[in-house]
Amino acid sequence: MHSKVLLFALTLPALLSAQNRIVGNAAEAEAGRGLFRIVCAPCHGIQAKGGRGPDLTTGVFNSGNRDEDLFRVISQGVSGTEMPGYGVRFGTDNIWRFVAYLRSATNRRAVASVGNATAGEKLFWSKGACGQCHRVGQRGGPMGPDLTRAGRKRSYEYLRAALTDPNAELTTGYYKITVVTRDGKTISGVQKGFDNFSAQLMTVDGVIHSFLRENVQSCEREYVSLMPSYKSWSETELNDIVAFLVTLRGDL
Amino acid sequence: MRMLSLFVVFASMAFGQVKDADWLTYGKNLSGWRYSELDQIKTTNVKSLALEWVFQTNILGKQETTPLVKGNVMYVTGPENSAFALDLTTGRQIWKYSKNMPPGVNACCGLVNRGFAMQGDVLFKVNIESTLVALDSKTGSVIWESTIDDYKKGYTATVAPIVVKDKVIIGIAGAEFGTRCFIDAYDVKTGKRVWRFWTVPGPGEFGGESWPKDGKAYERGGGSTWVTGTYDPELNLIYWGTGNPGPDMNGDVRPGDNLFTCSIVALDADTGQRKWHFQFTPHDVHDWDATEDPVLLDIDQNGKKVKAVVMANRNGFYYALDRATGKLLTGKPYTEVSWAKGLDANGRPILVPGQDPTPTGNKACPGGGGGHNWQPTAYSPQTNLYYFSSTDGCHTYYMTNQEYLEGQWYQASTFTGEGLFPKGSIVAVNPATGDVQWRWKMVSPPSGGMLATAGGLVFSGDSFGYFFALDAKTGKPLWNKQLGGTVINAPMTWARAGRQFVTVAAGGAFFTFALPK
Repeated sequence: MHSKVLLFALTLPALLSAQNRIVGNAAEAEAGRGLFRIVCAPCHGIQAKGGRGPDLTTGVFNSGNRDEDLFRVISQGVSGTEMPGYGVRFGTDNIWRFVAYLRSATNRRAVASVGNATAGEKLFWSKGACGQCHRVGQRGGPMGPDLTRAGRKRSYEYLRAALTDPNAELTTGYYKITVVTRDGKTISGVQKGFDNFSAQLMTVDGVIHSFLRENVQSCEREYVSLMPSYKSWSETELNDIVAFLVTLRGDL
Repeated sequence: MRMLSLFVVFASMAFGQVKDADWLTYGKNLSGWRYSELDQIKTTNVKSLALEWVFQTNILGKQETTPLVKGNVMYVTGPENSAFALDLTTGRQIWKYSKNMPPGVNACCGLVNRGFAMQGDVLFKVNIESTLVALDSKTGSVIWESTIDDYKKGYTATVAPIVVKDKVIIGIAGAEFGTRCFIDAYDVKTGKRVWRFWTVPGPGEFGGESWPKDGKAYERGGGSTWVTGTYDPELNLIYWGTGNPGPDMNGDVRPGDNLFTCSIVALDADTGQRKWHFQFTPHDVHDWDATEDPVLLDIDQNGKKVKAVVMANRNGFYYALDRATGKLLTGKPYTEVSWAKGLDANGRPILVPGQDPTPTGNKACPGGGGGHNWQPTAYSPQTNLYYFSSTDGCHTYYMTNQEYLEGQWYQASTFTGEGLFPKGSIVAVNPATGDVQWRWKMVSPPSGGMLATAGGLVFSGDSFGYFFALDAKTGKPLWNKQLGGTVINAPMTWARAGRQFVTVAAGGAFFTFALPK
């Protein structure tokens, strides 16, 4: 709301001159990096390579690739997502400093996909059994992260690394919970809730379980993915799967 | 007749002799104990606690207030310049105060408020745009409102004031915005400022040599005072903790110890003159504010009773100081500390090299936000233990050069944790030795403050929305209830008509519990 007021209050030439002065200037990009580390790093990572928020170093942005698109998104946020607007808090020049930093951080080219997406799609639903846990559009299982927009949310490198080392960087909240009941039964699944008095988890059959700590022997959480590693697969197969994943842009 | 007296005996056995009990100031008493003599709710019956009423503020944002209770009314402040008077019996609203915030208020950590102070029928609270307002407790009407300082410079006000004699004492926030902070006293009747103590001295003033000689570093020096202090009437001294120097994580622009940041200052209540100061973290670069509760209690030191002020500091050490002189009595880590090997005889940390923020990052423990943060602490004279929350872990601290712009964020970088679950605990410390008596481990950083009662209980809440009671002697959890919103403030307790009540805020609502009638 406030950011719109701010934008309308500025004339287009004033905006453009700030843009020309700041974007592409190394010192301004450095100032932007300082701001980025405080404000954006909690979601986008200290290197802007993503985490809870998208990777910002691929040169491809969900809401447009022009400087003006970045300015708009940082100022106003993206409705329906966790991305807030920073226009009021930081002002025009600082928003351009963020843009300057992002431009300096996205100089590296996104790695070109070398696999075959059609072959990857087949592997995804058959040999890989990825759909047992992951959902794409209206198809797939509920246990793992929804991959419908994986190609927008995650970088090529992130997806490639996740296949062979699922524990490298977990999607927030998708941790492994293991409960041992009073009668010695062990139940493992993906975290739905984990707190000081209880835990909720989903087992591979899609059932949600709930436990009170006072009623079980133990209740532990590990920074471990329930996804198996695919490192025994051939380079070609892995590249094909990733080629398929990067095509997933949310078109149902 | 005989039947009736038997009944009275039985009733008082069941419920004890519960006198009406108020809660009149932020820390329960001006020593900041947050301890209540009420013992109707105790270890053996706490499992029966039941809901009495809920009040929904309908305001999103963090409830950091400590409610006050007087007469038949509870007084609470909320985020975004709001406040409410509530009926003690039903929780129904008696009046509401609200004031629009001017656009462009820059607050580091939410548009929060930590509560009222009260004298007679007058309530005092700060508003976020750095004003202090006096309200008629009967109606919520404004008696006077004074400007503390200019919010456009980056100042915000969130603290609960205290009243000392004829003055309202307040602190200020804004050390993340390159401000120079202070502690102020205002006349209760007129709202006129009586004195100001700058927590960052100017050139030529005592402590001024701990800042660069030339330049404007001290003008951006921080030292915020956003958590309520305490008062010793015998010594007539006010004790107040001070925050980080500015910018938080780039110490290169402010060589020196940077007094009086990350310190406790003891001020004459009448004049605001500094009696002594104790700096916990000289030249801080990890954002280790010393704005935690400075709690006043007497501790045994070699068989002698010493008037002490204690603090569980964000830097990972628990400290007890002689509150007449400011000399260190004891200092000991209560969580993992990597940045200092220990304290020297004067309490100055013995630094471990390689722990400061750099452009590429350095790991240090505690992590950002420290071990114990601002959440209210409690001291129980019954157990002689001091209770507080702690975030237990480490972070990688980064430094960046950052240009100063008036009123803008000026932190010069940040900290991150990667691939680890941050953990926490509630800690009970022997205040004389700093030894940890017990530690109740939590699966994530703690969020709530502490309340200790003569019922042998410690009440608190967590980020998941649980309100819970621990055994004050052992830390064993005895009871909990899910309230559906984060508990940030400390629970408080009061009594009316023979019954003890416990009130806590969770999410945007206030919940009151008691034993069933």
